[in-house]
Amino acid sequence: MSALILISVLGVLVLYLGLFAKKSWLAPVGILGLLGAIALFYTGWHINHPLLGGMVVFDRFSIGFNIGMAIITVLIFLFGPDYYARKEHHVAEQYALMLFALVGGFILTSYSSLLMLFLGIEILSIPLYILAGAKKHSLRSNEASFKYFLLGAFSTAFLLMGIALLYGITGSFHLDALAAHMTQSGGSDLMLNFGLFFVVTGLAFKVGAVPFHFWVPDVYQGSPTLVMTFMATVVKMAGFAAFFRFIDMTGMPDALARIMVLLTIATLLVGNVIALKQTNFKRLMAYSSVSHSGFLLLALLSDHGLEAGHGMAVGHTLLYYTFTYSLATIGLLILFTIAKRANNGAEHNNIFQGLFAAKPWLALCALAMFLSLAGIPLTAGFVAKYQVFLLAIGAGWLKVMLFGVLMALLGIYYYIMVVREVFVRPAHTVTFVVSPLNWLVISLCAVGVLVLGVWPALI
Amino acid sequence: MEVLALILIPFLAGLLLLIARPAAMARGIALVSTLLSLAVVFWLWYTWTGVAVTGISHDWVPAWGMRFVLGYGGIGLLMLILTGVLFPFIIGTGYKQPVGDPVLVNALLLFCQSALFGVFLAQNAFLFYIFFELTLLPIFFLLLKWGGEHKRAITVRFFLYTLLGGLALLFSIAYVTLQTPLPHSADFSVLAALHLPMHVQMWLFWTMFLAFAIKMPIFPFHSWQPETYTMAPTQGTMVLSAVMGKMGLYGIVVFLFAIVPEGAQYWSSWVIGLSLFGALYAAVIAFRQNDFKRMVAYSSMSHFGLMCAALFTWNAYGISGTMYQTFAHGVLMVCLFYIVGAVSQRTGSNDFASMGGLKTKMPRFALLFMFVVGNAIALPLTQSFPGEWLMYNGLWQWNNWTAFAGVLLIVLGAIYMLYAYQRVMLGPDRNIAVTDADDEEHTFLVPLILIFMLVGLFPNVILHLVDGPVQHLLNSFTSLP
Repeated sequence: MSALILISVLGVLVLYLGLFAKKSWLAPVGILGLLGAIALFYTGWHINHPLLGGMVVFDRFSIGFNIGMAIITVLIFLFGPDYYARKEHHVAEQYALMLFALVGGFILTSYSSLLMLFLGIEILSIPLYILAGAKKHSLRSNEASFKYFLLGAFSTAFLLMGIALLYGITGSFHLDALAAHMTQSGGSDLMLNFGLFFVVTGLAFKVGAVPFHFWVPDVYQGSPTLVMTFMATVVKMAGFAAFFRFIDMTGMPDALARIMVLLTIATLLVGNVIALKQTNFKRLMAYSSVSHSGFLLLALLSDHGLEAGHGMAVGHTLLYYTFTYSLATIGLLILFTIAKRANNGAEHNNIFQGLFAAKPWLALCALAMFLSLAGIPLTAGFVAKYQVFLLAIGAGWLKVMLFGVLMALLGIYYYIMVVREVFVRPAHTVTFVVSPLNWLVISLCAVGVLVLGVWPALI
Repeated sequence: MEVLALILIPFLAGLLLLIARPAAMARGIALVSTLLSLAVVFWLWYTWTGVAVTGISHDWVPAWGMRFVLGYGGIGLLMLILTGVLFPFIIGTGYKQPVGDPVLVNALLLFCQSALFGVFLAQNAFLFYIFFELTLLPIFFLLLKWGGEHKRAITVRFFLYTLLGGLALLFSIAYVTLQTPLPHSADFSVLAALHLPMHVQMWLFWTMFLAFAIKMPIFPFHSWQPETYTMAPTQGTMVLSAVMGKMGLYGIVVFLFAIVPEGAQYWSSWVIGLSLFGALYAAVIAFRQNDFKRMVAYSSMSHFGLMCAALFTWNAYGISGTMYQTFAHGVLMVCLFYIVGAVSQRTGSNDFASMGGLKTKMPRFALLFMFVVGNAIALPLTQSFPGEWLMYNGLWQWNNWTAFAGVLLIVLGAIYMLYAYQRVMLGPDRNIAVTDADDEEHTFLVPLILIFMLVGLFPNVILHLVDGPVQHLLNSFTSLP
């Protein structure tokens, strides 16, 4: 709880710093505050009592996710000084908005009342609507912001409708009440199923599951890269944490499980197949984000069918998967920014050409991160996928899982196509300019991905 | 400890090359490293007492049964010998037929050797899988950077093809691991004790077999092979055919025969049919090739078909013959691809049309080549003869008609190899400016020829390694319900 307050105050503080034009202070102050929040969460590891009249519970699951999100945000902030080096105005607002969005993320991991779910999603989303349009003079950025806002509002309507229906049945916003009602009615209530369906739809929008994924590529491509990094990492972590809390509490009745199977298969298929043909790196990463959502949905799906008490295994897998995915994504998007600058703003996959010749270490880092996203052994991405597959087999979703394996193969293909570019010599010489801080973050991400792949027990 | 050294020596040497980048000494360092590994392998062989050895056993991720267990049985040791003996020659190829940056090439080759040792030492299915996939990465870069025409498209196809098999294998491993009693374990010893129900074995057989069938390759899964072998730099082709293909045969023994024996028995006639058909098919195509390297690639595929068929005959002849032949085939492939490289280096092309009548200009080379051809068509006293003889025996015991297909293979093999020799070496002198084999080529080929002649004379050196394990395997079949 104190961490929540700390981050909110930190956001305001950062805004004030912006007022006094202390641009160079923004990132350090933000990072210090985040480290403080991590420490606060860490000391609260064993405290497990409900807060705010039982609307929020900081249990191990939420604290794990919160620490993960805070670490990822620190990494993104480390990228900030270089990214905003040439921007003079409104930098503070961007840091502050990210911090506010992070607060929404914290609430999403720890809600135990549907009301807090709604609040969390709104606190997370509204800053993002603004951030997506942060490049005020770019048409694409404006488009991204507008599209995100419209579709986000649309999904919120679904979510609210679902919450209203559930409230109508149980007379309470509490997940416990909902769970009690579920066991009582056996999940055959039509209105209840509609309520669940609408809430899941709202959540599926946030995590970019097919068929609610249409905003992902456009918004990712249009947003500034740093904001896209934030969306692809922290927002995804928060979204899946929220999804898991909801699914785990309801125990997933069969009707919902059927819908989840459809969502999973569609997300895996569309995300991977469309990614095959992407030549714009940001769009590729957007579709790769959709496809990873598919694997995460497969993990969620396994919550249905696992014996009681294995729910935490799903939660742990989600945390491991989203965290390692985030690490690789941050590193690659920073590299993308570097390569984009070196190629006069081009975003095509081939801007990575010549990276190996110019910066061998960074090329090796890129290799590690791409392989992690593709799921090749000894990287964290492999362990993450393997955990998902184990869960799915354990829960009896054999055919869905086999389909997932096939889609993982497609995934390897499009990452390898980019890896290939890294090792190609370009037609003309390209100079990559890497600031020491960026070098550090990329190295951290790559080493992190490898270390977590070899010692998965660290998370 | 020795087993860990096997994995670490090449890995550290590769790392040393990457960090220090000694361009002039790169090959020397790599050669010394492979010779060191070879010494360790020989030490293991020398101290081998006929019982399976477990060198290292550590927990890694207990929750999924993933343990770090290294060890070897007789068959594993044979594979280690194969890898250990061939790699000095594969590295040595670089002296006479260099490709690209010696530092990177040799580092990649050493990484590959390290992963290959890992595959043959792993006693845990999960660990096996990790090494199995890691072998792919160095080769991927080797092909991508120094391949021939259309290297990018072919490399990606090869990579995806093998990864498809790998993922199917991973799925099978995950599945069988979850079937073991708690706490789950993916150790081969635990998995072998599983008696899976027949209906599971029926499909599990194919998800596992796919991985190994692609690796070798066996008939319907072979379409990556000819192009990849042809396009790859000589050293890459050697690694692929001489050692990496053997992972398929080795995998069949440790996975299929141990974990799904009844499934393997049920499908054996299918596999033998596919393998023999593929072998004949490849042999016929080999005969019609106009490209020397492609011809050798198809001949390799033909041999793999025969080995796989003999493996599934379920008798001591077939299985020991195949295991013996893995070694013989590895030596043969290194020789053949070296000769292909040496000839095409002189004539500037792999095409038979640019060769012919070379014997008058390079008589010594022609003689060396003749020895290798003799081995390739399994003349008595060469290394391949006992292996092929055992394999035909195995096929004969299984069914007369498969033995007939095998005999056809002998004839076809002799036809395409001798025809190739004729097109390269014989015929009227066409005044192609070539030089005869020099000292380096002699130092390369003569030891290999000595190896295959000596092992041909004393096949028991190899056979005694596999006798025990094969008997053990067959006993466990007969005790099946």
